[in-house]
Amino acid sequence: MATIDLQNISMIYGVNGTRHVALESVDLKIRDGEFVSLLGPSGCGKSTLIDIVAGLKTPGHGTAFIDDEPVTGPGTDRGIVFQDYSLFPWMTAFENICFAIEHTNGKQTRREIEERTETYLDLIGLGAYKNAYPNTLSGGMRQRVSIARMFAMNPKVFLMDEPFGALDSLNRIYMQDTLLHLWSGGEQHKTVLFVTHDVDEALQLSDRVAVMTPSPGRIKEVIEVPFSRPRCRKTLAGSAEYNTLKSHLLSVLYCEMLDEIERQTRFKGLA
Amino acid sequence: MRLTVKHEAGIAGIILLATIALTIAVPDAPSQVVSSNSAFIAAIALLIVLFGAKIYLHPKSAQSTADVFLIIAVVLLLWEVLLGKLALLDPFIFPGPTRVFRVFEIDWQQMLAGVISSLEILSVGYAIALVAAIPVGLYIGWRKRLFDAAYPIAKAVSPIPPTVYLPYAIVLLPTFAASSVFLIFIGAFWPILVGSVYGVFSIDPRLINSARTLDLPESRMIRRILLPAAMPTIFSGAMIALIMSFITLTVAEMIAATSGLGWYIQYHHQFANYDNVIAGMILITVVVVAVMYLFDRIQAHSLRWQNAE
Repeated sequence: MATIDLQNISMIYGVNGTRHVALESVDLKIRDGEFVSLLGPSGCGKSTLIDIVAGLKTPGHGTAFIDDEPVTGPGTDRGIVFQDYSLFPWMTAFENICFAIEHTNGKQTRREIEERTETYLDLIGLGAYKNAYPNTLSGGMRQRVSIARMFAMNPKVFLMDEPFGALDSLNRIYMQDTLLHLWSGGEQHKTVLFVTHDVDEALQLSDRVAVMTPSPGRIKEVIEVPFSRPRCRKTLAGSAEYNTLKSHLLSVLYCEMLDEIERQTRFKGLA
Repeated sequence: MRLTVKHEAGIAGIILLATIALTIAVPDAPSQVVSSNSAFIAAIALLIVLFGAKIYLHPKSAQSTADVFLIIAVVLLLWEVLLGKLALLDPFIFPGPTRVFRVFEIDWQQMLAGVISSLEILSVGYAIALVAAIPVGLYIGWRKRLFDAAYPIAKAVSPIPPTVYLPYAIVLLPTFAASSVFLIFIGAFWPILVGSVYGVFSIDPRLINSARTLDLPESRMIRRILLPAAMPTIFSGAMIALIMSFITLTVAEMIAATSGLGWYIQYHHQFANYDNVIAGMILITVVVVAVMYLFDRIQAHSLRWQNAE
């Protein structure tokens, strides 16, 4: 049982006297077991937002709540997968997962920890690579280990910051399916906050998509994704409803982008 | 025609064998004659065995192995011909190889004892420096304020050559061994400390963030994250510290010891036994190469995660 509640979050960076508004009055409530994507171009503050929920950054204004408890710092009630920096390169896949679950989930024997690790490595199909160092694994395999680690930690909520951003499109689809498979396989869905800049990814995975726009970073629009689960990628891609939603999201994103480009060229013209 | 590795290795081998043949067949210059040349011949034979073993065990690095041994072979041959056979330089201070290697045969017990005593002092001083400098360095790197305070002091103190502490070390500490250990500790401490501090600085902040999300206790953060992440930089500092330790040790031994590698050279220098001086230099070289090799192996093993294939 976990909800994420973002209340009036603002974040301003001062860089050499100039003010950069990374986030401006962001409000978002995520229900228990809900999968919500933050969709937006780079610089819209979506990663900053997830860092705030993770407790890695403190917002200038406003508060993030997990289950009505304000976030004051990092904690193992939140499992996190970054784009490519979740795993520690000096630990094998096996050691990485063991290390992460050693001091979560309360008291456990060494045996329990190792069995749990084995289970999740097998679940993502990397049992044979348990003793491999991250540098010897492909980007996709590394992310699979990161995801296995997150599931093995059994946190209240999942936070994922462009976890598939560095993968090629085929691998990305495969990873999305793996994630959904694991996520819906559990006895109870975890609450997920997922950052992406890929419209298809957001639509395939999420219950709701929060579209963010830059300068200042804010949530422009939140849309419901009405498709029932499990979703079939092929059927969805062919459906009119999906394509309407997709073009709507794209237009929201592109409008902002075009405005932004216009703004920048105008500035240059003045100078 | 391009020189292949095989050709080059062959040439190096032939030169080494030719040096042996020359040593046996051609008499030394009168000023260079010693009662036995078997130590030099044994040394070359040992080189040939090492050469073969290295090429056989590490075929990937055969090229560089052949290069190195070719240079050694040429140097030995020139040494034997120019000094041993022709005595082109003053034979008193430039002995030929048979004279020098004869020293190993006569003095090996004393030399072995010297190696052992030197390595004992070196390893104790170096180990204490590692144990002291790494945790302190990691902690200083981790705590910004501590760094701001410690850095100017470290910057001022670290370039002081450790041997300048020798007068006090000898007065205050009971034995030469204890004062040498202290000097080596001082000399090795700073490079390891600096390596550890910069090791922490150079950690990718994204890795630190990833660790922070696990909400680790500080001791665990330092031992399981900062230490391994800083390890590559710590090793570069430790390498400089090791070289520093060797220099400190030999200098200290030359000034105040009654045994050891530096003492051996200093002692024979007083009696103008240049055969022994050069033999001592060769011995130090061999010991340094062996210790560095060990260091490299430990480093490669500890950092195997870095570029694991």
